[in-house]
Amino acid sequence: MVLLRRVYGSLFRRSSTFALSIMLGAVLFERAFDQGADALFEQLNEGKLWKHIKHKYEN
Amino acid sequence: MLSVAARAGPLAPFVSAAAHAVPGPLRPLVPAAAHREHKVPLDLKRPLLCRESLSGRAARGGLVASASLNAPASVRCVHNDVAVPDFSAYRRQDVQDANASSQGSSDSRKGFSYLMTAATGVATAYVAKNVVTQFISSLSASADVLALSKIEIKLSDIPEGKNMAFKWRGKPLFVRHRTQAEISQEAGVDLSQLRDPQHDLDRVKKPEWVILVGVCTHLGCVPIANSGDFGGYYCPCHGSHYDASGRIRKGPAPLNLEVPTYQFIGDDTVVVG
Repeated sequence: MVLLRRVYGSLFRRSSTFALSIMLGAVLFERAFDQGADALFEQLNEGKLWKHIKHKYEN
Repeated sequence: MLSVAARAGPLAPFVSAAAHAVPGPLRPLVPAAAHREHKVPLDLKRPLLCRESLSGRAARGGLVASASLNAPASVRCVHNDVAVPDFSAYRRQDVQDANASSQGSSDSRKGFSYLMTAATGVATAYVAKNVVTQFISSLSASADVLALSKIEIKLSDIPEGKNMAFKWRGKPLFVRHRTQAEISQEAGVDLSQLRDPQHDLDRVKKPEWVILVGVCTHLGCVPIANSGDFGGYYCPCHGSHYDASGRIRKGPAPLNLEVPTYQFIGDDTVVVG
């Protein structure tokens, strides 16, 4: 509750900071989401990807 | 008053005025047990707020009808048997108590609402960016086309002083291994005498290798290497003379021969494209 109140007062109250926080949040979210999804994919496909077996075929 | 009730027509049963809660004359289709706690308590001693609430205190009853010459007759019904639904399931925790002030929790409630809006905005921006990126990248050339657009040339096959032509993207590509005399000659050319002034070192990455698109800038013929007045290229169609750096020196062509993008990989290989 206190956190929401402070976030509202500092970020969401003005439209300018609201829009700015959305843009900044989109950049950070994209980075986190994409990297997280890639890490999950690589973890689920461990040993199947070229980067995992590359050392066997390239010197 | 009777005329007003008659004017109500089919609504007449609902227009029944009452100063106290009475069951309506209409029978419900399904006989249901009335929940007494859901009934609105009818407070007959409510403060005097308006004409209708005043009529609640009147001895004569609640049906208020007004009529005038220049206004339509209106009938106000006392909906004192309407059960107000319980909205507490939809209300936030902070405003459940009707007697407590909601001002104190206003900022945190707004904070939550705006947080939801911002999260939706972030998700929308992410999706929109990816959709637009996918759409635009689908317009660009695919990887196999891009792979065909490059040519790898082994430089040790070209002896010094010779020019070799390759086919690259459907056009002739000249790779010229210049001698030291040609390099110093082209470096010493006065730029003010050139039609398309460009220094020799701006057209090459390594001075001994000149890589050019072999299409005359006049009308697109293929120039002949190692000929012409300036020891470079000569276009047989209309007589344009290019020097050993591919710069136009004489004839109708307006521009120097085009230099493609290329990079040297190691000492022996150049990749054009």
